[in-house]
Formats: sequence, C-alpha cells, structure tokens
Amino acid sequence: MPTAGVERESVLRPAPGAVPKSTRTLRVALIGNPNTGKTTLFNRLCGTRAKTSNFPGTTTSAKVGRAVVGGDVAVDIVDLPGLYRLSLDLPEARIARDVLAGSGPYAQPDAVVVVVDACNLTRNLILTGELLAYGLPVVVALNMVDLAQQRGLSLDPAKLSAHLGSPVVAVVARRGLGLDGIRASLGKVLQQSARRPADAGPAAPSDARDLTAWAEHIVEDSVGGASAVGSGADTLTERLDKTFTHPVLGLLLFAGVMVGLFYTLFALATLPMDLIEATFAQLGEIAGRVIPQGLVHDLVSQGIIGGIAGTVVFLPQICLLFFLISLLEDTGYLARAAFVMDRLLCRFGLPGHAFVPLLTSHACALPGIMSTRLIPDRRDRFATILVAPFMSCSARLPVYVLLTSLLFTGQPLLAGLAFAACYALGASAALGSALLFRRTLLRGEARPMILELPSYKSPSVRNALVAAKEQGFAFLKTAGTAIMAICVVMWWLNTFPRVGPAPEADALRSRAEAVANPAQAEALRAEAHLIDQRAAQAGSFAGRLGQTLQPAFAPLGFDWQLTVGVLTSFLAREVFVSTMSVLVGDANDDVTDQGVIARIRAATREDGSPVFTPATATSLLIFFVLAMQCLPTLAVTRRETGHVKWAALQLGYMTTLAYVFAFVAYQGLRLTGVS
Amino acid sequence: MAAVPHPSFSTWSSSAPAGAVRLSTLEPGQLATLHGAHLTAHDCALLNALGLTDRCVLRICKVGEPCIVQVRATRIGLARSVADSILVVPQGAG
Repeated sequence: MPTAGVERESVLRPAPGAVPKSTRTLRVALIGNPNTGKTTLFNRLCGTRAKTSNFPGTTTSAKVGRAVVGGDVAVDIVDLPGLYRLSLDLPEARIARDVLAGSGPYAQPDAVVVVVDACNLTRNLILTGELLAYGLPVVVALNMVDLAQQRGLSLDPAKLSAHLGSPVVAVVARRGLGLDGIRASLGKVLQQSARRPADAGPAAPSDARDLTAWAEHIVEDSVGGASAVGSGADTLTERLDKTFTHPVLGLLLFAGVMVGLFYTLFALATLPMDLIEATFAQLGEIAGRVIPQGLVHDLVSQGIIGGIAGTVVFLPQICLLFFLISLLEDTGYLARAAFVMDRLLCRFGLPGHAFVPLLTSHACALPGIMSTRLIPDRRDRFATILVAPFMSCSARLPVYVLLTSLLFTGQPLLAGLAFAACYALGASAALGSALLFRRTLLRGEARPMILELPSYKSPSVRNALVAAKEQGFAFLKTAGTAIMAICVVMWWLNTFPRVGPAPEADALRSRAEAVANPAQAEALRAEAHLIDQRAAQAGSFAGRLGQTLQPAFAPLGFDWQLTVGVLTSFLAREVFVSTMSVLVGDANDDVTDQGVIARIRAATREDGSPVFTPATATSLLIFFVLAMQCLPTLAVTRRETGHVKWAALQLGYMTTLAYVFAFVAYQGLRLTGVS
Repeated sequence: MAAVPHPSFSTWSSSAPAGAVRLSTLEPGQLATLHGAHLTAHDCALLNALGLTDRCVLRICKVGEPCIVQVRATRIGLARSVADSILVVPQGAG
C-alpha cells in the first residue's frame, strides 16, 4: 500500500537533473545481502527517527532516515530491501533496480553504500559487482571485520578499494565502530561527485560466472587466509544445526521456544494493556464529568475514547511480539525453525515461515498478520494472511466460555472438550482453506525451502527496540485510523435513532420513588435502566438492521436478538457477550459469573421459547469459530496486502464458510431431534 | 540491468557427467562439485545467488530434511526435494 509520507519526502523527489544538487537534500541508498548487518548500520547512521512506509505500489517496507555526513551535509538514507543479486526476478530486486536506475516513481540516489559481510566476501562482492555497473558513487562498508579477524582472515581495505574503484571502510556496525569513516567517505564522494575509474567492476556484470570469477580474484588478492573460510567445519554451528533441525528434537525445542515466547508475551503485555484500559476508562470518566450529558458526551466517551482505547490496547502485544521475534531472528534460530515446521505446513501449501504468524494469531490476529512479513514469497504470505484469523484468538474466549457453558451445564469435561474442539475446528479450517487458496486464487505448491542459514550470534536489543517501535507506529498509523473511524460508525449505528424511555421503565422508576427501602428502590431503578437500554438497542439502526436481517439468519436458528448480537460483534467478537447481557436484561458481562450464564440461558424469544437451544448454541458457536467478526483484522489485512480486495475476500470467504457450517450443524441437529 | 530469469545451471537430464549423483545421497563431510539441477528457473537463480553456481565446490554438513550444505562461507538449508534435484560429482569420484 503506498503511503504518502516517505514517497513525497524521499523516494519520489524530482530527479537530480531537475533540481540543482546544492538546493536539495542528497539521497543515499543502502544496499546489501540479507544478514550482513545492513539494518544495524542504518539504525546506527540514522538513529531511531527513521520513517517507515512502503515502496510505491508494493507491500515491501521502505525505511528512510536522515544522517549527517562529511561534517555538515544532511542526507536522506533509503534502506533498500536485503537481496542476494540485483538480477533476480524477485520484488525486492526489482525495487532495488528501479531505485538505482531512477526509473518509475523513484529518483536516482546520489550515492550508494553497499554493506558487505567481511566473513563472506565472495558472495557479497557479486552484488557489489552488479551495483558498480550503475556508475553511481559507491562506498563499501566492510562489516563484521571483528568476526573475520577471529576466523583468521586478514583483510586489506586499501587493496579492495583499488579493485572496486570506491572507498572501502572497515566497520563493526553492531558496536558502532567505523561509522565516522562511512560518514567521511560518503561526504567525500557526494561532494566530488566522484565517479569510479572506468575499469572498476566486472567486465560482464550480468554473467554469473564472470561475476563469480571477478569476485574470487579480488578475494584472492585482498584477503589473507581466505582459503580457510568455509573449508572447515564449524563444529558448534554444525551441532546446533543438527539439533535445531532434528525431526523430533527440533520440534520439541521449537515448541519450547514458542511456549516461552507466548508466555513472555502474555506475562509482560498484560500489565501495560491493563494500564491502557484503566487510563482510557479514567479518560472516559473525566470526559463524562466535563462534557454535559448528550450526544457530544456519548460520542466522545463511547465513540472516540472507546475507539482509541480499542486500538491502543493492542499496542503492547504488537510491540512486544515484534521485539521478541526480532531478537529470535537475530540469533539465526528462526531460519532453522522454519525448516522444522515446513515438513507439516508444506502439505497444506504453506511454508515453514507461516507457523509463527499462525501461532501468534491464537493471541490476536493483528500481530499474527503483521508478522507474515517474515514470509518471503508473496503467494505464501497472502495465503497465510487470509487464513490467520481462523485461529481462535483471545477475543473469542468469552464467547466460547459462554456458549460451551450453555451447551454443557454442569458437565465441565464435555464443556472442556467442546472448547478444545473450537480450537481444532479453527486450525483445521485455516489449513484446509490454505490448501484451497493455493489451488485456486494463489495457485501453486508451496515453494520448496531454500534458505541461507545465517551464523548464530547474540541478538541486538537496539535493533529489536527499533523494530518494535516501527511496527507499533505502523499499526497506529494505518490500522488505528481505520479502526477509530469504524468505532465511531458503529457507535452511531448503536445510538441512533434515539429511543425515549420505555413506559415499563417509567413505571418502575415511579415505583422506586414510592418505595421506602433504598436498596429496593435502587434495584427498581437499575431494572428500569436495563429496560431502557434494551429498548434503545432494539430501536437503534443496528437493532433494526438485526430485525430486518433476521430472516437470513433464521436457517441458523438465530432470532432477532441473536442476530443483533452477531451484527454488533462485527466490530469485535467479545462485544457479543455484553450485547446479549443487555438484550436479556443484565448489564453484567462477566462470563465467569454463573448468574449471568444462567440468565442468558433462561432468555426467551417473543413467543416464549428459549433463545438458546442446544442446536442454536452449537450453530452460534461454530459461526463464531469461523466468521470474520473483527474489523481491526480486516483493516490490517488491507494494509498488509496493499489492496482492499483481499480484505473483502477474507470477509466474504470466512462469513460464507461460517454460515454454511452453522447451517449444516443447526439443521443436522434438528433433523436428529436435538433442538 | 535487466532481470536474468534463467541461471547458468543446466538440468541434469541433459548434462549428467560420469559419477554424478543426487546431492541427497552424499554423506556429511563429503565434498562435491555441482553439476546441475532439475529445478524451476526461479529456484536455480536463487541457488546461484546464494553461491551454488555451476562447478562450485560444496561441503555436505547434514543430510535429510533439511539438507545443509556449505559453499565458501555460506551455509544453505535445502528441502529434501531440492537436494534430490541437485546433481553433484563427489570429489575423488569419476
């Protein structure tokens, strides 16, 4: 999804020829192989103030930061996606080619910094060789020189520089060493508009063999001890790889890591989430006191504050998840774990990378969908996004508790089994649907995994913090605005048209005035309030819509009250319980309160028959397992796929599947005499 | 620079040299020379970009699922189906 900020400010600026160099901010592109420390260098050069967006017309993340080089020259640094070769037919390579050539919507950069891994010079120089063909001023950041020295390599930056016709600076980005050299060299090449000597670079940069021979020649001439690299076995790495990718041990370890990750997520996110909820509740109260009762009061306290709270409350989970995933990814472990899960998921057309997003979706689909950025292939990624909301998220829990309790009163074992069956149904629907999508819309088998296994290393907390911050802001910026707008619309639908006090409620209030016992009077007033709430809900646009649409839900066994519950919970599933509480005449929505469950169970239709029969409760439970009852998830799907059609497909597909399964369950139970 | 959709690999059906075997049949620690792959152009290009180029020498680190090979300083994990489709000549063979 193109987002205006970055494009306008840095990527889509007029080409250098259109505006004199002296009157505009200079642009520098940062390029490199994956796992070379490119992001670490970017964060070191630009601090944490980088803007994150997408490259125009793509869902590939673009980061632009400001740095000062050459003493006093401000430059915009565009962090290009990590890539192995510019010539690959992959989205990230296409973007990099367009940026470097200044074609399409991009302005050509004034210089390029290429980050190369000093321990893996030959492969990294191949990308550098391709880059030199563009004729742009280049600075080579020779990263991880400390590790190279530990491995017995002696590097000669001066000789490398002579071969490449560009400055080569030894750096250790993780520790911030060599950054001044990068800044100084950048300042120099930008001021001089230095062009490389014509003979620098390979003779035929598009020929793989020529490029490899060229790179090997440079390494032979500039690096001492190169023959030792890669020829011997790194026994610790080999042992760790064998363990982490073992069919049984690897799986157990992965399960342990995931349990640890989610335990940490839940344990640490609960406190800030509670604080956010309490803060917004306080704000709502303050607004309630400051703003006079009326429409503005309700809009601010319920629509706006409620909408912001409903968005911001997810922030701790999202930030923490990305912090932890970034740490895990940095260690090199996730690449091994992807192979472990690939054995299972490839049968359903999904890659091993899909496991983390799917598991995350059990907590909340929002961070789950956002974490699909780990998946390199677009079709794999979209298939994962489409099916992730089938996983039973924490918002479904209150509904599951309510409905399984209604189904199996006093039978905790059966209720527990039904609860587990909901999770199994959701996961099965996700895997089955993934297979369906991969055989239709996203046709093709899951691509067999070919993955670089990066070196094991200690993770960078700094990088993880930056990743958490970026994802948090991205969520607030795009999903947050949509969610808040939707909250206001839902508030309006639930509030209008205004319904006056019900005569029955007025009668109760009159009785309360006459009663001497204060407790009894208070009880009567509370009952009157509930009757008014119920009348307001039924008379609102949402209520009327529920009554109008009830015939469509009748085959599932839903009366108008259940239909209203389903429609109002479209905003968020957990709203269903509070809606039902109001409709059956109890403001308490605590599903752990057996009194509430008993009252909801006793709720009757207008003809006196029970609202919740076993068949209705089963049908409703299945509907909630499978339906896309979460607008924030749709907003994030739209953002991550870059097009509203995928969100519409997700909504249409999940709702249809939920309807069909609920219909079959209800009618099947009725036919077998269960009603 | 234009995209290069086809790598420098040949498929093994057309150019299998004497002594060539599937990568997945080798033992850990063995060295071998790459001679081709029966894979999609995309997968071949990716292998090439990772350093698995025609006639390069690689070392087998682990067999099975995944198969792990090392070429120069790069360790690469390969699904068994990929390892089955890569043709190599073990060093010292043929």
